[in-house]
Amino acid sequence: MLNGGCFVDVDFCQVSKHGQHAAGDVFLSRKLAAEDRLVCVLADGLGSGIKANVLATMTASMALKYVSADIDPQRASEIIMATLPVCSQRRIGYSTFTILDIGHGQDVRIVEYENPPYLLLNRHPVQKRELSVRTAQLGVRQLAFSEFEATIGNRLVVFSDGVSQSGMGSRDMPLGWGAGVNGFAHDLLAENGEISSRQLARRLVKRAQQNDNWKARDDISCAVISFRRPRRTMILTGPPINQERDIEMAMLLRDYQGSRVICGGTTANLVARELGRKVKLDMTAIDPEIPPTSLMDGIDLVTEGTLTLSRLATLLDQGASPEQLQANGAVKLLRLLLESDCIEFIVGTRINESHQDPNLPVELDIRRNLIKRIVRTLNEKYLKEANVKFM
Amino acid sequence: MSKIKVEICMGTTCYVLGASSLLQVQEALPAELASRVEIDGASCLELCKNGQFGKAPFVRVNGETISEATIPKLVQAIRRHAAATA
Repeated sequence: MLNGGCFVDVDFCQVSKHGQHAAGDVFLSRKLAAEDRLVCVLADGLGSGIKANVLATMTASMALKYVSADIDPQRASEIIMATLPVCSQRRIGYSTFTILDIGHGQDVRIVEYENPPYLLLNRHPVQKRELSVRTAQLGVRQLAFSEFEATIGNRLVVFSDGVSQSGMGSRDMPLGWGAGVNGFAHDLLAENGEISSRQLARRLVKRAQQNDNWKARDDISCAVISFRRPRRTMILTGPPINQERDIEMAMLLRDYQGSRVICGGTTANLVARELGRKVKLDMTAIDPEIPPTSLMDGIDLVTEGTLTLSRLATLLDQGASPEQLQANGAVKLLRLLLESDCIEFIVGTRINESHQDPNLPVELDIRRNLIKRIVRTLNEKYLKEANVKFM
Repeated sequence: MSKIKVEICMGTTCYVLGASSLLQVQEALPAELASRVEIDGASCLELCKNGQFGKAPFVRVNGETISEATIPKLVQAIRRHAAATA
């Protein structure tokens, strides 16, 4: 989400304990657009598998609700601990959690309950305050509370004990990865200061998995929150309804500060014509369902229109990882969008008559509806700042 | 001997009507013709927008528009152009 020029890039990566289908760690985040606020929770349920998942899901959902409703974190924690179902074997109801409440892209408040302490990178450490919470089964418990104003370049790394305790008992790290997590995160930032939250979270999780010899001994979860300047992408798709505006559309893309994308053969031809550039189809990879991409000077990605965008919408809904898919136009576009913060669609509304032919073997969506759906998903599910302008 | 240029449209309509399989036309040609063609794709040939050029998928062989293109139709057109420019 974008706040006063500072973009908060949130991403999360997880692998379940080896042999478990469900993860016992749950990460939830919600954007409260009206209040310009972002709330995230990482909860780690007692044990692993479904039972832990239920505990963690309950904890995370409650925390998200209470904090969003401005209920004091101390009170919220009491309610959560009083509500959790009690494990029949261990006689306790239990889930550790970390709650992050970020207002206006900079006012950060964090409540921690028995999760490994968060890492704050590129910034001096923040003094934590202790809060006491009375619980029925567990006596008085301590929460750690921190509050600070974030600036561009700051990063928060929040993870479950599956990360910090990975590798425990091995020769290299008999006590687990522990403080090594911090060192590794610093190394990754030194290597690439611009690394996205997504990549940073993935690299940390992969490393923890490797520490466990690729058989995770606990759920391994890591969320990264980066405060940075927004990465911007503009996507042109469809010719304007009024042909006189072709040049205007092409210039918008030419003068854009950020990544530039064209979706649609007609649109690509339009831009090539107006800017005097060449468009060349890239025949190196042919996908049976998604038409190939093209190359144009000064444009980061040129794809076909409707089929590619339909597939993109599906991939976004599925939460697909581009790293695990064969690269076609839709996958390339997905990768670019996941690495962007602000995404602007410029949609020409001229109807492509040939798409209306009832003899076509597939139904082709109306571009406008398709883009509206993509924009909604990007905003709600991926916490992007996506918008659309029709021409 | 100049090459025979085959441009296959890879726009949405042509693609859903089977343009991607037309890329295999080279394999359907006898050796002496296969070496004479230069197969390329186009992001959109802009021929589908009105009916005057016929129906998709479209291919251009040395500038000649082939509508409702199939591999046999393309082979035929390539033969014709090969004979004309031999």
